[in-house]
Amino acid sequence: MSSLPSLSPRLRQGSGRMERIDRLGWRSATCFDSHGLRVGLRCNQPGLLERLEPHLPPGWKAAASPVVDQVFSLWVGRSHPTRGGRHIHLYAGPSRRLRTSSLDEALALLESEIRQGVAAGSCRRTFVHAGVVGWAGRAILVPGRSRSGKTTLVAELVRAGATYYSDEFAPLDGRGRVHPFPKLLSVRGEAGCDVHVRPTRPEELGGVVGREPLPVGLVVLASYRPGADWRPVPVGPGQAVLEMLAHTVPARLRPAASLRALARAVAGARVLKGERGEAPETAAKLLEAVEERVRSSRRRAGQRGMR
Amino acid sequence: MNPVARRKGLVVRELPGELLVYDLERHQAHCLNETAAVVFRAADGHRSVLDIAEHLAGSSGSEADAEVVRMALERLADARLLESAAEAEARPGMSRRDAMRRVGLGAAVLLPVVTSVLAPTPTEAAATCVSSCSGQPNGTPCSCFSSDPCTESCVSGLCSDGGGC
Repeated sequence: MSSLPSLSPRLRQGSGRMERIDRLGWRSATCFDSHGLRVGLRCNQPGLLERLEPHLPPGWKAAASPVVDQVFSLWVGRSHPTRGGRHIHLYAGPSRRLRTSSLDEALALLESEIRQGVAAGSCRRTFVHAGVVGWAGRAILVPGRSRSGKTTLVAELVRAGATYYSDEFAPLDGRGRVHPFPKLLSVRGEAGCDVHVRPTRPEELGGVVGREPLPVGLVVLASYRPGADWRPVPVGPGQAVLEMLAHTVPARLRPAASLRALARAVAGARVLKGERGEAPETAAKLLEAVEERVRSSRRRAGQRGMR
Repeated sequence: MNPVARRKGLVVRELPGELLVYDLERHQAHCLNETAAVVFRAADGHRSVLDIAEHLAGSSGSEADAEVVRMALERLADARLLESAAEAEARPGMSRRDAMRRVGLGAAVLLPVVTSVLAPTPTEAAATCVSSCSGQPNGTPCSCFSSDPCTESCVSGLCSDGGGC
């Protein structure tokens, strides 16, 4: 039984091109909120909506209104054995993003498109492409591009006892705190096309999912080199903001809000940059660095209290 | 002509000892160290290079040095943070090495630094490993969706027109 409300989405700002898609004949639809963005989702087969639910972004909430910021549409055609099976079309707004015969492929792309749409469109959060874990009441951020080793390091931090927040995005609020975005971890084996991503629950790594927003304690700007020893150099706040801006999804869309969130995030954080070797050794050193940071802040607070 | 720093089309954010400047036209972000930031703020078209040098000396507690200001103006011009009319005046054709020699090691801490990055588009920043290369540009990070990599266009983790294998 789906917990999604039955609502036919209507774009806040419609367009002529969208009207053409609207007329295709949608039989089931819903709307949900994610980080302040309202998203509509519709398909032409009534039973399909329940299959879409696991593909929604983590932390989604049922929407009360059908007026949405973004709409995604999934059209599943009838099966034509002589014409390469059925045709499935995926639309993001008025743009067709995929034509395929595989429903699983369409659902995988839909999930990714919705997450990226939320990351770009959310006005309440500044999404940084980064892995995130919690440790000692602080967040550890690992910004980086895809395939830069974020998930490997995040998985190792979770195995070492850190709380899982995300392996893809760090949603920062206006105070610079990180909110959870706990999608399943995309754990890879060896690099390359022949090994597939395995969606992994943090519990499989012995971890738990964080629920509360955390202030940033450590930002890790790491590049992987086999055999390297983690000997990072500290980075100043301004340089840290620039480094993180390079991974900030709405950097061009909302530069002032992005700079504000990033500046606040790094204000109380240590920022370290360097080459890392294998993830287990690096993870242990990162957790130690956060603990040291927390201890020194407590010492400083104690000294202020004495005065 | 007195140097004039750009004021329009920028988002400016202060940090302790640094200044962040986002150029809305070029989508570039710059981090100015304290010396570059003081010169950027002081370049208002009313102050000459010598006036700015005195202003800088007052805020840093060191001796006034016009060479440091010229060097800062050169850095700001490179970052497109000066009005075009002032740029020609700001370029004395002096290399960084020449400037350091003239300024002296004692003043090296005062040397202006401007670091810059190009802000990514939302697609570039959010680029995640896609499970299908359909509709994705070449070079997009990907991981195989199908159990048979030969049918996919994901080659060594990047989308490619050529297809796998």
